[in-house]
Amino acid sequence: MDGYTNKIAWVDLGKGKISIQETDAEMKRQYIGGRGFGAHIISSQMDPLTDPLDPENIITFMTGPTTGTGIPLGSRYEVCTKSPLNGTLMSANSGGVFGWKMKKAGFDGVVISGKAKKPTYLYLENGNVEIRNAADYWGKTTHETTDALMADLDDPKARVLCIGPAGENLDLLACVINDRDRAAGRGGSGAVMGSKNLKAIVATGDQQIKVADPDRMDGVKERIRTKIQENGICDALHLYGTSVLVNIIHENGILPTRNFQSCDFPNPDDVSGERMRDTILKKEKGCYACIVKCSRVCEVEGETHEGPEYEGVWGFGPDLGIDDLPLITQANWLCNKLGLDNIGTAGSIACAMEMREKGYISEGPTFGDGTGLLELINQIGHREGFGAELSDGSFRFAVKYGHPELSMSVKMQDLPAYDPRGLQGHGLAYATSVRGGDHVYGYLISPEVLGSPEKLDPYESTGKALWVKVFQDLTAAIDASGLCLFTSFALNADDYADIMSATTGTEINATELLRVGERIWNVQKLFNLAVGYTKDDDTLPDRFLTEPLQNGAPKGRVWERQPMLDEYYAERGWDNEGVPTPKKIRELGLGEPGIMHAHT
Amino acid sequence: MQEDENRAEKMKVTVKVFATLRRFMEKESQVTIESGTTAGELLLMLTKEHPGLNNELFDETGVLREYVNILKNGRNIHFLNKLETIIEENDLIAIFPPSGGG
Repeated sequence: MDGYTNKIAWVDLGKGKISIQETDAEMKRQYIGGRGFGAHIISSQMDPLTDPLDPENIITFMTGPTTGTGIPLGSRYEVCTKSPLNGTLMSANSGGVFGWKMKKAGFDGVVISGKAKKPTYLYLENGNVEIRNAADYWGKTTHETTDALMADLDDPKARVLCIGPAGENLDLLACVINDRDRAAGRGGSGAVMGSKNLKAIVATGDQQIKVADPDRMDGVKERIRTKIQENGICDALHLYGTSVLVNIIHENGILPTRNFQSCDFPNPDDVSGERMRDTILKKEKGCYACIVKCSRVCEVEGETHEGPEYEGVWGFGPDLGIDDLPLITQANWLCNKLGLDNIGTAGSIACAMEMREKGYISEGPTFGDGTGLLELINQIGHREGFGAELSDGSFRFAVKYGHPELSMSVKMQDLPAYDPRGLQGHGLAYATSVRGGDHVYGYLISPEVLGSPEKLDPYESTGKALWVKVFQDLTAAIDASGLCLFTSFALNADDYADIMSATTGTEINATELLRVGERIWNVQKLFNLAVGYTKDDDTLPDRFLTEPLQNGAPKGRVWERQPMLDEYYAERGWDNEGVPTPKKIRELGLGEPGIMHAHT
Repeated sequence: MQEDENRAEKMKVTVKVFATLRRFMEKESQVTIESGTTAGELLLMLTKEHPGLNNELFDETGVLREYVNILKNGRNIHFLNKLETIIEENDLIAIFPPSGGG
């Protein structure tokens, strides 16, 4: 009765073996759940040098203690694995309903290793796990798979997580999709599922999800509900979705266009959240227990689906020089159907467009031309035609043609929708993210652009190192808790500690919560160091360090790597090469025995 | 009529508003102001012309709401001279109510 179901299913698909273990008490205390459980289990059970597409790679699907408890925005689960895209110990977070359903099925999470001999899906129901035949679903899109499983199972309470053709084809841009259109998007985890012949996971059941202190929880729920409802940012998210950012980021002069060559996209309003609301929006939608409802359900040419979000709008819009919102929306939906990371897919296409523009390749897409965009995405998902060149992301493509400098990626993962030349802190977060190019491991846009929790000068690098560390650690703790990151617009570390204490019955304060986040961050960092990443990799593409922006308020600026990076290492208690010191490792309780490692 | 020598020079600036503010005024408009006008005075002027704006931008005590962002040519006035920032001819002023995403 502490928020957890206290059961984790360990599944070896190669041996067809299932073992249901009690969720370890010490692991709960040190890692909370979600991203923390995944990072801990993988780092402690697996050789970091394991090939990510080898059967030995482990993939975990973990909820947090707040998931499914009814606390507002407590819907999330995390996919963790060794990324086939870049070898990092990655996590990817997703909402929707699936996380709640995994708890209703009686599980805090699932740990999967091995490779099934034939297409398979996992069926979780009321504390039981079955490995089932997925032959009928292999080859289908995520929408088709979900609909077919739901029809075959005839259980309206069930929910489906699955991969599409991209995962089956081992695209390194492949993601995991749940509830038809919610994505655990980054890092290529869909290819890991594909490599294991694991098509889907179905969760259903009616297990009770109880918190430790229901009375206290009622008070906490009421208090945070009020804070979220009274927060202006959350209000705008409901009205305009995440794409409200298009105009904000553009007006700040940091909306990248044409593969980050500039930030002067001419028609931002045509692809904005405001335009979406006025044209294609059918209704707002929320995940389980959400009171913000930032997701968009849109209609284009008679088709209605969830999405797109800001990142996808930017990716298939401004970054490709395209201002056709219906087409951008269709491109995003197609990524979801194929099970492709839309940021990586768009970034790879943008890279190809610049390569074409510069004459480095003789075929491929061109900036501003949406003709053939959907067909190209289809090719990427199915690893066919020219699209096959882009199925593994922009970095490998750019290297193949001799121009790695045109891949706008960090640690081989394509960057999201903010130009770091006008955002010193956010650039540092990109450079140091332990899963590579990414915006949700430390969203410095919040203070540097939106003014939350306070306004920080985006052009100033002094003092940013500590901000980045704190944001990264708090985010890791939130990702462990099962709460949506958007709660952080309204809540502070004390609020999260209060929620966690009421949920688990173990008192934790803000300092201790941040320490959990720091522990998770260091676990991922140590894994990445063992993989072979070094200080040289904690940087951005040369473009951002050497080519000043030519327009807007940040005109003339570049991203200033130093001294921020060294300051950041110092704030983290790492040495000058970015390696956690023995003192820091001891302080975090890492590298020592003591936590029980359940294993099949 | 004799021109008043002390009368301030008039100039035009562009004002763009976003999200909920578009309920109350055009998304982009040319506004004529006197030279020396500050950002705070411009906002006051706009809220008089478009009363609905007031509640979006200011709280009950008249203080600019948390997370409202005003940009002068792409630079947040918070890092210039805040509401005392002088608006100049042909400036582009962008006004955002509290909003964000990710």
